[in-house]
Amino acid sequence: MPEIAVAGLVKTFGDQRALDHVDFKVNDGELFTLLGPSGCGKSTTLMSIAGFQHPEEGRIAVGEETIFDAQKRIAVPAERRNLGIVFQSYAVWPHMTVHENLAFPLKVRRLKRGEIRSRIAETLELVEMTPYEKRYPHQLSGGQQQRVALARALVYSPSILLLDEPFSNLDAKLRVRARSWVKELQTKLGLTTIFVTHDQDEALSMSDRIAVMSAGEIQQIGNPEDVYRRPSNRFVAEFVGRVNLIEGVVAGVERDGVLLQVDGSNHRLTVPAAGGAQVSDRLTVVVRPEAVTLVSAGDSSVNTTNTWDASIHAAAFLGDHYEYELEAGSVQLVVQTSRAVEGPRIKVHIPRDACSVVE
Amino acid sequence: MAASYAREALPRPRRDILPASLLQWITWLLVVTLVLGPFLPLLYASLRDRPLYEAGGAFTTEPYRELLRDHAFWHAWWNTIQFAVYTTAMAVVLGAAVAILCARTDLAGRRTFSKLVLLPLLLPSLGMVLGWIAVWGEGGYLTSFFAQRLHFTTPAIDTIRGMSVVEATRLMPVAFLTCQAALVRADSALEDAARSAGASPLRVLRSITIPMLRPALLNAATLIFTLSIAVLGIPLLLGVPNNIQFVSSYLYTLWTNASSPDPGTVSAGAMMLLVVATLLLLLRNRLLGAEARFVSVGGKASHTAMLSLGRWRWPLSGAITFYLLFTTLLPVLGLALMSFVVFLTPLIAPWDLLTWDHWKMLDDGIFRNSIRNSVIIAVVGAVLATAFVTLATLVAHRSTYPLRRTLPFVMLYPRATPGIIIGIGFFWAYLLTGALGDWFRNSIWGIMLAFCIRNLPLAYIVMYPTLARIGEELDRAGRAAGAGWWTTSRRIVLPLLRPAMFAAFILLFVELLNDYDPAVFLVKPGTEVMGATMLSQFIQGAIGPVAALAMVQVAITVVVLAVGSRVFKINTTGGNDA
Repeated sequence: MPEIAVAGLVKTFGDQRALDHVDFKVNDGELFTLLGPSGCGKSTTLMSIAGFQHPEEGRIAVGEETIFDAQKRIAVPAERRNLGIVFQSYAVWPHMTVHENLAFPLKVRRLKRGEIRSRIAETLELVEMTPYEKRYPHQLSGGQQQRVALARALVYSPSILLLDEPFSNLDAKLRVRARSWVKELQTKLGLTTIFVTHDQDEALSMSDRIAVMSAGEIQQIGNPEDVYRRPSNRFVAEFVGRVNLIEGVVAGVERDGVLLQVDGSNHRLTVPAAGGAQVSDRLTVVVRPEAVTLVSAGDSSVNTTNTWDASIHAAAFLGDHYEYELEAGSVQLVVQTSRAVEGPRIKVHIPRDACSVVE
Repeated sequence: MAASYAREALPRPRRDILPASLLQWITWLLVVTLVLGPFLPLLYASLRDRPLYEAGGAFTTEPYRELLRDHAFWHAWWNTIQFAVYTTAMAVVLGAAVAILCARTDLAGRRTFSKLVLLPLLLPSLGMVLGWIAVWGEGGYLTSFFAQRLHFTTPAIDTIRGMSVVEATRLMPVAFLTCQAALVRADSALEDAARSAGASPLRVLRSITIPMLRPALLNAATLIFTLSIAVLGIPLLLGVPNNIQFVSSYLYTLWTNASSPDPGTVSAGAMMLLVVATLLLLLRNRLLGAEARFVSVGGKASHTAMLSLGRWRWPLSGAITFYLLFTTLLPVLGLALMSFVVFLTPLIAPWDLLTWDHWKMLDDGIFRNSIRNSVIIAVVGAVLATAFVTLATLVAHRSTYPLRRTLPFVMLYPRATPGIIIGIGFFWAYLLTGALGDWFRNSIWGIMLAFCIRNLPLAYIVMYPTLARIGEELDRAGRAAGAGWWTTSRRIVLPLLRPAMFAAFILLFVELLNDYDPAVFLVKPGTEVMGATMLSQFIQGAIGPVAALAMVQVAITVVVLAVGSRVFKINTTGGNDA
């Protein structure tokens, strides 16, 4: 399976810049996710790779073959890129049976009838759809149609697989099941895959690496843990999961950390050293809600560093956890705990290692 | 098992025989040449000091100046505009009212009505005018009946207002379709919200429904105005005998009756008419653009809550029935009766005047030729035009062809073009294109081509909404699977488009069968078509056989429409510009 190299893609619609120098490399056999809100350029990127959009600048290569190069005016037509794609709507052709849907790409490639039949049988078995071969799409459920779409994208051994929000039309329960099923299949086949989604849970649970996109630019590329725990900027922090943002001014620099004077309060926060922070620099610190701990107000056994007095402003029970909105002076915090706590007066402890500094 | 996916690469997908871009260029060139081509010779002919078929000739603007000096020409314009204004006002008000009643109220029989009111637009227009004359004309069956038995004078239909009533009943369905499409698109939750806010049904109608229809009304009004300034049959059959000329009949008379033919002046007049029609089309495009602002963000196509008409439910239903009876059914019956009697009069019982002679006349000469030619033109033309428009619509909306955005405008352009202009344009075009033109000019295919071009917009209007509903991801999936543009179109898009293609075929068949005004400039002995024959024979006084011929048109039309809508439900509500 080849790797995919995307370099310097620029695409404008009217005066709107949809892609602004998008660069990334997808490794052999990797599941690479483009994550971002709608309009961030993730689908435009995917459609450029598929050959349905032509950027004004940039290059795309799959393995050794350059399939797009704006400068050299190379644009291999979509039908000659040999890639498999699953669309958001599945795009299972409604006038063809499951068998005919899968046979189409093989007939276009002039395979012999026997080979067509055996390949279809093999692929349908892979997606566990063998009993439905003679059905028409309207006789299938959404989840089954999705499997057919995937089978159709796999049946001709494409060099890479593109998934365009394939789960967004499934209901919540089915979506979680489909996720792990697709991931399992992808790993088994070792197929280089680009996956587009706006759902951070899907991205985090399935990806080998994630590229977070916003306004046509890639904000961060990293494995799921990196992106979640060490977001490179505010946008990534806020888009991937819930987050507390604490802003302040550096009051002192220590050997292995920085002391932050939090804006609008007398709270101080010790955070890991940010590359070359100087006294009186402004910093933004990111803390995930589940990383914060709550202690009852009377408990004095806790470390006093990074421990503030706070009051509970609102509480919600969310089944597997509790969520509290706190006010510590003028700082507002969201905290998730597995056990209920007594309010309204409370102590909140922000572990030093849970803090990460963003731009 | 997984191994096979990594194992061997399959052969490369086969390419389409014809490269997509070549096919798309050919399609575009054909559309542009055929639609816009005829207008160039027309312009040329209007600026020459002698007919194009005579040698020599120099540039001149004399034809224009001559026309502008002609008092009769200005008078014809004034008549035409009055006629168009009356027609538009009546057709739009009536069409909108019936559309609202059918789409938003519990009117009794609304589903049936929303089909039946379309009939006048589909029935042969020339035949319907004859039917009106037979029933409501001066000395018409019911006119005499009312006058003699009830001492009640029905309004004359050979005046400008009378003619506009006849035309308004034909074009009312255009307003109906436009308003109906707008009402179906608009989310009825908007009206429900007003009801919840405390507005009475009538108040909702006045404050929400009608204002939201405004763009549709303007759109329909412009289209109806454009169509009615170009009509030829009504002024020829009703106006001219009463000394009322319209621009179209003025040009027709100038072409056919003048002692020395003056093609330059006719071409100049046609150019002026074309400019007016084009300006109206451009105006309409602007209005359509404005319409987007009124498109309510649709929720689900949930049930449409009906305004209750209460005790008006049946009386209003009765009123529409009467309307259809008097404007459509009676003229058709009158036409039928006229074809079976020696002459039509309420004074003598029709069975005493029964005759088969009119129908027997259809079996030979010009009538027989006309029927055969018309049917051939309708079948062959509808097949070819459907195929051609399908291809052009695919290029326009499902390709990356660089000039694709020009195609919808070009394909809709003949809609605004009066039929007689298309006729004159093709006449000159055939004359100027040597052997190929001669072949077209001397066979029925020349008339067929002109008819097809005139009715291209109809096919496009039927085709486009269905195509727009076919998700683009379906063809993208085909491309990704390795099929080229043509294979994808043929194997994936066309099968899904088949219902619309069938509907387009049926409607084209009907229109091509009944069309006449482009043909009046193109017919030659041997290439007669029904409409043109009816016109010329009626003017010569052969009323009975013309009525029989019109009945043939009506019968074929009704049968084809009935069979067509049975085989597949023709979707008439899809287009927003019917």
